[in-house]
Amino acid sequence: MKHEVTTKGDTAIIALKGEVDLESSPVARELLLSNVAGKKNILVDLSAVSYIDSSGVASLVEALQASRKNGTGLALAAASEAALRVLELARLDKVFTIYDTVDDGLNA
Amino acid sequence: MSDIPPGGDRRDPGRIDRRSSPALKGHLELLARMSGHLAVTLNIEDTIQKALELIVSYVNAEAGSLFLLDDNGTQLICKASVGPVDVSGLTLKSDEGIVGQCVTANESNMVRDVSTDPGFAQSVDAVTGFHTRSILCTPMSVQGVCIGAIELINKKDKSLLFSEPDLMMLKTLASAAALAIRNARMAEELVEQERVSRELELASEMQRSLLPDARPAPFPVHGVNLPAHEVSGDFYDFYELGDGRIYFSLGDVSGKGMDAALLMSKTASLFRCLGKTIDEPAKLLDTINRELCETAIHGMFVTMVCGILDPASGNIKLANAGHEPPLVHDAEGNFSAIPASAPPLGILPLNVDDHDVRDEIFNLGGGTLYIFTDGVTEGDIGNGKRLEVEGFKEIITGKADAPLAERIEAVISSLKGSGRKRHDDITIMAVEDPAAGRQAAEDSTPLRSIRTLTFLSSPEELARVRDAVRETCRTCGCPEAVTRDLLIAIGEASQNIVRHAYKDSNNSPATLEILCGDGILEFHLRDMAPPVDREILEPVWPKEVQAGGIGLCLIHDIMDEVEYLPVESGTGNRLRMAKHFERDN
Repeated sequence: MKHEVTTKGDTAIIALKGEVDLESSPVARELLLSNVAGKKNILVDLSAVSYIDSSGVASLVEALQASRKNGTGLALAAASEAALRVLELARLDKVFTIYDTVDDGLNA
Repeated sequence: MSDIPPGGDRRDPGRIDRRSSPALKGHLELLARMSGHLAVTLNIEDTIQKALELIVSYVNAEAGSLFLLDDNGTQLICKASVGPVDVSGLTLKSDEGIVGQCVTANESNMVRDVSTDPGFAQSVDAVTGFHTRSILCTPMSVQGVCIGAIELINKKDKSLLFSEPDLMMLKTLASAAALAIRNARMAEELVEQERVSRELELASEMQRSLLPDARPAPFPVHGVNLPAHEVSGDFYDFYELGDGRIYFSLGDVSGKGMDAALLMSKTASLFRCLGKTIDEPAKLLDTINRELCETAIHGMFVTMVCGILDPASGNIKLANAGHEPPLVHDAEGNFSAIPASAPPLGILPLNVDDHDVRDEIFNLGGGTLYIFTDGVTEGDIGNGKRLEVEGFKEIITGKADAPLAERIEAVISSLKGSGRKRHDDITIMAVEDPAAGRQAAEDSTPLRSIRTLTFLSSPEELARVRDAVRETCRTCGCPEAVTRDLLIAIGEASQNIVRHAYKDSNNSPATLEILCGDGILEFHLRDMAPPVDREILEPVWPKEVQAGGIGLCLIHDIMDEVEYLPVESGTGNRLRMAKHFERDN
């Protein structure tokens, strides 16, 4: 898994790329939680995620719960088919706000 | 001193004198002491020796011997001896000498002076060098049945002669001794019975271990053996040869006792051992026959059928030595019997070249072959009726569409139905044409193993697992969307091995086998971790949104079949997952 973090205003755009699995999800989790702790709104760009498993999804859920606690926002954007399928199967596609594109997320 | 009247000597402790309370007291004390001594020992040798020592000492005799009748009642054997000459082991005819007369008449005898008695067997003194002057002899009887006698020799006083009170005392003590000996014998018999029963239990266990383990359907051979007693003279066995063919055999040893059971074990072992190199049933029976004849037990023989099934074609090669004809039930519902081509084994050498025993070759044609022992056809079905071959056919016809095991069970329950104890062992084996099973089962598409991957239980290995799944899905023409789901399911299942089965202890081995059939993919995941509790393997969606705990739910949502298979060795876990799909064109 690779990642890229860009900041626009008070929003951190975190792009996860490649396979988010048991091996890489600790990195994703740390990245997400540290940005939430930094009082940033988070927009997770899932466009380049080719595979994500339950441990990757768990990182997203944990970050969402943390953001709700500290009053910031967390949304997903541009979910790839692979990512969207897992979110659907995990019945989380309605729990997360998922924007079609990163720009949609930024403009919301 | 012969003029001393009976009971006249006040120093004689054996004397019975109603007027003399010390003598009576001594008498009762002796009985109590003797009963006490005899009660604590159930060992028959100890009982006999102790009883005789007490009696000799109390009656004040110079010597004593205790004789018991042998099992046939024809000989008296000296089982205990007290005195200067040990005569234990001495054998007399049951009517020989004073002891013999005493036992034969079941009456006591007192010979005050043997030199004047014609019944005295002088031979004993001649052998032992002992000088017998006077004999006191009384039978030992329990409930009127004489088991032997006690003989006392020479009173230990100047006269050396016994008196009437001595005889009365001996009679009383002999009754107590007889009772003690009988009790000790009964105790020994009980111990022996217990030992025999334990031995039988072990033999029974050993025999059961010779029978093959039942194999789940669609394996085409199934058998049942129900011994009438602890051990069985019947057997059946089957095993696969290296090329996929299946060797099977069923036999019945004449008789039903331990001798039959031992011969059964020998024959079954010969079949298992020799069958691996002799793949022609007639030749195999011939070889087994030679072995049995070499070490023949008089009058014992084995009727036996053995054959080879080729599951690929349904062809059977079978030979029958003296056994009740096996039945073939074909796909149209007709029965045909395969009579014996040779006599039973263990009687005479056969000659294969002269076709004394020959292989029958036929095709099951979608049908089933039934082999059974006469315990089945002669089995009681109630009202004094026997099942007979016709009854067997009726039951099988009625259950023709049922699975193999169910058909056999139907026959057996018809026999159990009589509610009476079985007289003979019941053994049935059925061999089915595997083609029949394939037609019957909707989803029994043959599967081919495409890929087996061994991986280590660490997160870094999971990408390799996914690569293997991705490639195999492509090879098997699995659509993209299904592949994506399978990657999730297999990923979660492999992840569970790493995280839960091996509890994050890295680098333990696991394997993934991928099998492919027409429109189906099967994944077999195996680990060597301690067995995981089945209860926690039930998929339960979390009630609230939470991080984690959904892996199993994803697997069950994606796969069509999820099954934890039994593990032969008792360690590890085996998960079978199957997914049906429509092939990409």
